[in-house]
Amino acid sequence: MVIEQYTITTTQKYNFPQPTIDTTLPQRFLEQSLHSLKQVQSAAPFQLNQQHIQQAEEHPSSLQLNRTPIPLKPNHQETTIAAIDTSTIKIGETPTGIIIAIRGATVWKQNRKYHYTRLGPFIFHITEENKNTVYNTLERAYFTTRYETPHQSAPNLMQMPTRLASLLERWLQTMIAKTVSDGLILIDGSLTAGTIDTPVHRMREILHQARKNRSTVLAFSKATTLRVNGYLITDQLPNTEPPYLLETTGLRFKPPTVLQGDVYVARLNKANYAFRLDIDREIPLHQRLEAVEKLVGNDLYTQGYPETLRLAHILCTFTANEVLAMQHFITRKHGIRLVNRPDMHRLLFGPFSKGEAYA
Amino acid sequence: MKLYKKEGNILQVLSFPTENAEKGDYLLVEDADAGKALIAQVIDVQFAAVPGVLEELLRTLPDGGQPIQGEDIDPMEIAPHITYIQDASLLICKIRATLENGALSPSSSWLPSRSQSTIKKLSIPSLLKLAKVDGNLPIILGGTKDSSLLTIDASAIDGTLNIITGKKGCGKSHLSKLLMASLIGYKATVVVFDLNGEYSCLGMTQDGKRNMYYDKIHALTPAQNFKVALDQLHLNVVMGILIHALHLPGTSAREFRRIWKQLKDRGDLTLSSLGEAIRNLNCNQHVRDALASRYHSLVNSGFFTDVPAEATLLEECLLKAKEQGGAIVINLRNTSTIDRQIVVEYVLGKLVDSLQSWRLKAVFLFAEEAHLYLRETYWDDIVTRMRHFGIFTTFITNQPDTIRESIYRQADNIFLFNFTNEHDLDVVSRAARVDAETVRSIARDLPPHHCLTLGRVVHDFPIVARVRALDLKTMGETRLFFTQAN
Repeated sequence: MVIEQYTITTTQKYNFPQPTIDTTLPQRFLEQSLHSLKQVQSAAPFQLNQQHIQQAEEHPSSLQLNRTPIPLKPNHQETTIAAIDTSTIKIGETPTGIIIAIRGATVWKQNRKYHYTRLGPFIFHITEENKNTVYNTLERAYFTTRYETPHQSAPNLMQMPTRLASLLERWLQTMIAKTVSDGLILIDGSLTAGTIDTPVHRMREILHQARKNRSTVLAFSKATTLRVNGYLITDQLPNTEPPYLLETTGLRFKPPTVLQGDVYVARLNKANYAFRLDIDREIPLHQRLEAVEKLVGNDLYTQGYPETLRLAHILCTFTANEVLAMQHFITRKHGIRLVNRPDMHRLLFGPFSKGEAYA
Repeated sequence: MKLYKKEGNILQVLSFPTENAEKGDYLLVEDADAGKALIAQVIDVQFAAVPGVLEELLRTLPDGGQPIQGEDIDPMEIAPHITYIQDASLLICKIRATLENGALSPSSSWLPSRSQSTIKKLSIPSLLKLAKVDGNLPIILGGTKDSSLLTIDASAIDGTLNIITGKKGCGKSHLSKLLMASLIGYKATVVVFDLNGEYSCLGMTQDGKRNMYYDKIHALTPAQNFKVALDQLHLNVVMGILIHALHLPGTSAREFRRIWKQLKDRGDLTLSSLGEAIRNLNCNQHVRDALASRYHSLVNSGFFTDVPAEATLLEECLLKAKEQGGAIVINLRNTSTIDRQIVVEYVLGKLVDSLQSWRLKAVFLFAEEAHLYLRETYWDDIVTRMRHFGIFTTFITNQPDTIRESIYRQADNIFLFNFTNEHDLDVVSRAARVDAETVRSIARDLPPHHCLTLGRVVHDFPIVARVRALDLKTMGETRLFFTQAN
């Protein structure tokens, strides 16, 4: 007699049934990373997060904010909370391109303890010559094989770091959506789809997988550009005791950008900070509120921001020490010499320069 | 290693974990273009101020308590590089000399190239060779960290003032015995003021057999095998004892001098006749009482005798030691404070007398905890006047503040063991031949039996060595209550 049972892992990583995880994408990341580094016969590191790009692409119109708060009652029912974030950093320049590093982190809270998995860093040498190959190989490795989308053109050189990080982030989100059941999945950013790095079908797939496992996707934006009557939606808070949500309506984007979630303003504790919160619009309202109440009841909050998501961000962010280590790695292991390009702003304007980021 | 900074005679060198530099190590900073090299000693090891380390550490403690559990999937194996950078250290080094054309000079006025200089560890044998720390009379002090021997030359102790200091139980007496035994081996005359009776058996091995020093150790215990007859004493020595050890006032001293001369002229210089003469002295009652009390102190010490057979001729021992080398160990273990001072006054007076008349060439004097028996005026005497007569003193103490600052300033060699007390380190760092940073930084971390040697013996290159073991019956161990019976 065969007893049917789920495979339970012995580690604390995923203490729930796991489907087989397709690891094609990380494998391709590694292959492309090593391949790109071999093709090579500093500038100040510049760290990017996916959210910057997404925010810039939003063009809302007729947005309304309902200033009547939806009160939340913390629900302490034990719930698995998982969060995903990725980070990318430019660690130097070569005569032909840039060296970038990408890392992703997933953090989950289970039985009142936090656990994490970090994937990376993956280091790429991106040049005008190899950027198409690198990007398209990675695209095809996981996503395109499923949706048969037309051949994507690679972004320009400066956009490559965020685009590659975005690929890794969506993959991690998909994996978490497939593995976490009856939980909350926290995403850094919004549920806006149809952008160049987040095709609609990709976001739909993540949300679909989550719903299939009875999980709810909550997307938190650290900063938003959405305004009503000229004021940021996160600045228009009623004088009500938190936690609560404020509902927005009428948010539309120019095609092909579409929203996969409904947008709320969430003020989750007494700290005077509120965040844009996107919740999967396919799930009913009571389930949305229940999800946020479970989040409030289960996760620690620093400045009103979920601790799990904060940890994911902290864990994937590169420190200066790591940048030095990666520069050491590429120099020692791959013999790559970084080019120290002069900072033209500093060169021309001296003490009046504010650096490239302010240019 | 990379040269990072130079401020005055302090170098800061960036070092990576694989390079294993520690406090006390010597580095050679070589600038090939300049044709010169700096010799610097590591006096402190600090973490390099690597940017981002604080963030790195903070993110592992998100709850302010338990480290977050997790897994790092690092397919490119960057983690070892992160650790490598994170564990980089900054070596704070003191420049000791400049090496140019094979010659050393104490200069640190030039600046080696930061980008072109090569930095490597300089082994102790190479350093000793460069510094020409060698000679015909080697004394092996012990082993250095790089498994080489630290050998000094006995002539570097000749004519010098030395201090052996460190906290209790770290091996000071052991080193003084080593130096003493080595000097005897080179036929030197050594006198030891042995406060705890631990030098008496140096002629025996640890298992109780006779060793090569057996015939050269002359242990003299006052009132036992070390007594003197009054007619062997010079008046100056007796007056020294009475005035300095027994605090006899001036008027009484004059009367005593008169009595002494009368007895000497009569050829009746004995204890009993001295007592009789004082009793019959026709003078002020107070003077007679003062003399009588001092007389009884002399009698009660047991150090003086009227029996010629009991009297030990210190001079004979000294002459014997002069011929074949040897140590006269004055065992002061069971001697009272006053008696100790009487004996020390006698011995020092006798030494000066013998040296002045050239019956002795020179003497190496080892004085343990000298503040317990040496009168105030003798400190300066020993380091100035007596030095010229040929008394070369080594002070051994665990209370560095009991030795006067002037002694430190004139010390030629300092053998420094571990000290943790800041005050003790402050006192020692006043020595002219050391710099305060070296003393404070290195001495604090010295393990037991390790000694920082400073001064002439190492040509002013401070070197740490583990003092070698001796097969001598040392008897210096502290008696313990909780000893396990075999």
